[in-house]
Amino acid sequence: MGHLSRRQMLVSTASLTAAGVLSRPYIANAQAKTAVCWIGQGFVQQEDVAMTQVCDDYMKASGNKLDYSIMPFMALNQKIISSLTSGDVPDLYFHDAPSSILPQNAWDDKIVNVNDVVAPYESQLSETAKLGSTFYNKATKKRDYYLCPIKQGATPFHIWGDLVEKAGLKMSEIPAKWDGVWTYLKQAQKPLRAKGMRKLYACGLQITTVGPNDGNNLFTHFLIANGGEGIITPDGKLHTDDPKIREAAIKSVEFMTNLYKEGVVPPEALSWNDADDNNGYHEKLFMMDFDGTLSTELAMIKDKQAFYHDMQVLAPKLKNDGTPMKTQINAGGGFIPKGAKGVEVAKDFMKYFMQPKVMNANLKGGLGRWVPAIPQAVKDDAEFWLKSDMPCLLPYVQEAVLNPTLPVFEGYTPAWGQANAEQLWGQAHADVIKNGMKVADAVDKAFKRCNEIFSRVVM
Amino acid sequence: MSVTQQAVAIDGGFARSRPARHKWFGGIHGADYVWAAAFAVPYVVIFLAFVLYPICYGLWLGSEPQLYAQLWDDPRYFTAVLNTVIYVGVGVNLKMGLAFLLSGFFMRKRVWVKTLLVVFILPWATPALPAYMSIHWLLNGQWGMLNNILWLLFGWDGPVYLNSHWMGLAANIGAYVWKNLPFWTIILLAGRMSIPQELYEAAAVDGATGIRKFAHVTYPLMANLYLVCILLDTVFALGDFNATYFVSGGGPAMSTEVLATLGIRYAYTVALPRLGVAEVMTALPVLVPLVYILMRKLRVSEGQL
Repeated sequence: MGHLSRRQMLVSTASLTAAGVLSRPYIANAQAKTAVCWIGQGFVQQEDVAMTQVCDDYMKASGNKLDYSIMPFMALNQKIISSLTSGDVPDLYFHDAPSSILPQNAWDDKIVNVNDVVAPYESQLSETAKLGSTFYNKATKKRDYYLCPIKQGATPFHIWGDLVEKAGLKMSEIPAKWDGVWTYLKQAQKPLRAKGMRKLYACGLQITTVGPNDGNNLFTHFLIANGGEGIITPDGKLHTDDPKIREAAIKSVEFMTNLYKEGVVPPEALSWNDADDNNGYHEKLFMMDFDGTLSTELAMIKDKQAFYHDMQVLAPKLKNDGTPMKTQINAGGGFIPKGAKGVEVAKDFMKYFMQPKVMNANLKGGLGRWVPAIPQAVKDDAEFWLKSDMPCLLPYVQEAVLNPTLPVFEGYTPAWGQANAEQLWGQAHADVIKNGMKVADAVDKAFKRCNEIFSRVVM
Repeated sequence: MSVTQQAVAIDGGFARSRPARHKWFGGIHGADYVWAAAFAVPYVVIFLAFVLYPICYGLWLGSEPQLYAQLWDDPRYFTAVLNTVIYVGVGVNLKMGLAFLLSGFFMRKRVWVKTLLVVFILPWATPALPAYMSIHWLLNGQWGMLNNILWLLFGWDGPVYLNSHWMGLAANIGAYVWKNLPFWTIILLAGRMSIPQELYEAAAVDGATGIRKFAHVTYPLMANLYLVCILLDTVFALGDFNATYFVSGGGPAMSTEVLATLGIRYAYTVALPRLGVAEVMTALPVLVPLVYILMRKLRVSEGQL
């Protein structure tokens, strides 16, 4: 081997670097049928297996390549927001709960319109899935589809049935009306404490001021149960000036803070984070909880006694006025950032995924933590969704698919997400509980701030 | 002409032909200059890509005046500023004071003190997130270890620590101090160990006792190092996110949020990254002078560590 001079070495290094940099676009062009996808990790391993399967099946069927990464929820959230800010984006995001990201970015015209992807399936989608997948764009000044809805999730009651019986109560006697559920179950605390469960509380009421989501979700359901679902309408308008809405909010805050003051809610609930209620429920530190999806039950799937016998799921049935309760549904699926290079493949993948059979197989594989955005898919596979041996599944499907539902309000306007992020409702509870404020004053204070936030987002 | 005269003549002529290079590149030239440049390029590229670019990008992201109007309009922002002042002021001074005292204690040469030092370092060696999450659970009023111990020992039901603004803030500061105290203790211990023993011996000959030795030897020699540590830790504490986020979560009612956690909340909970960056940028008027003073202090003066 000849001697390599310093000059030759420097020139060779510079040449190799230049060749590497300059040849990249050609390599990229050679793989034009590839889409880079960022996918949210499931709560149970089966969800990830099902997701990998659908990606593999698509690649086999289409000949296209999906360069996909599966990542945890918070990491995905941060990566999505960072990429949308910097413009260095993948071709597709697949997110279980994009309601904190999509409204703002659709509003800012940073997401690709997917009307053409959704159109073939639009007539089959649930009304809630449609509302939860359309967002207002301030550039085009109209609402369009920016999410290809695949899955949806509801919020049921999670109850330790064995503790209900131990307290001398009966699951079958739980009233149908919203307030009645809490009022009936709170009676369990005394007898259970008398039987040695010193620190047990009856109600895992997430009256939290910490957030990010549970406290807001709980308050909104109380509001709906008290007739306040019109606080915000699909046109993004806020109706805090409606006396009926104010009354519903007052009733909600009053009921929740009274439960807390009565001592049937863990005092810690004011500062719970998203995981605290799950941990406390699993440890039987309180008897019931109202929390999104079936992740509470599926986390304990290996404990046969708990999963198949002790843990009960209950769908909310009636509002306090006796009319059917509408629970809020969160839509998840795929969305494409503007600036993506593989839009064609990303859209093609979503068209494939939205086929009812593909959608159903994927969500069934994930043990039903999420239900299909197309209700017919549930009815066509009743063997799994309606007759499963998993006791938690039927009431959950009834709530999310068969009963009346509403989309989460974040989809109507980004302002609602901002109001939630300020934990306005948790703050109202804290004002009553800790600061001794009158309920009406606490509600008015929250409404005032809500109005200020909405005034910045004019549709 | 002698060899020396020739060398001087050659050197003088070369210097006259390339005066600028002598000034800027320390007298290197020719192939040495190319090599020096080649070795410097990676560092320059890394500096541009990972230091200068992010700073400029951040300034650009937070450059819209309306973002600051929005911050001004948000009551949480002022709470976060106040909390940050308390968090940094109390946290840094408490920690450095304790670290200074402990570094004196760990100067003792006994075996059990050395063993204790190993145990003492453990909190710093523990990964931050599990440590802070454990503290969050430890302080849980219902099932936390602290209240369970109180119940077992005295039959008391302890308070709900994280429901109180002051206890929540104290918990955050306590967790931050606990986590980083060993690191600063070691730094100050190293400083103390580098003070020549002869100085203490000379002071002893002059009749100095413990306090006088401290006042006339330890304190003057350690003052610069102590100040540098305070400045550095202030910069770290201003940007600390983990303790507040994982111990109190910013609660109750977002009353313990600091600038670092509120910025992340804006950026990733509300999906308003520009507002998050703008919020963090408001700390710059404090950070920049701090870094400037720090840099000046790092020019070690005579008789200082």
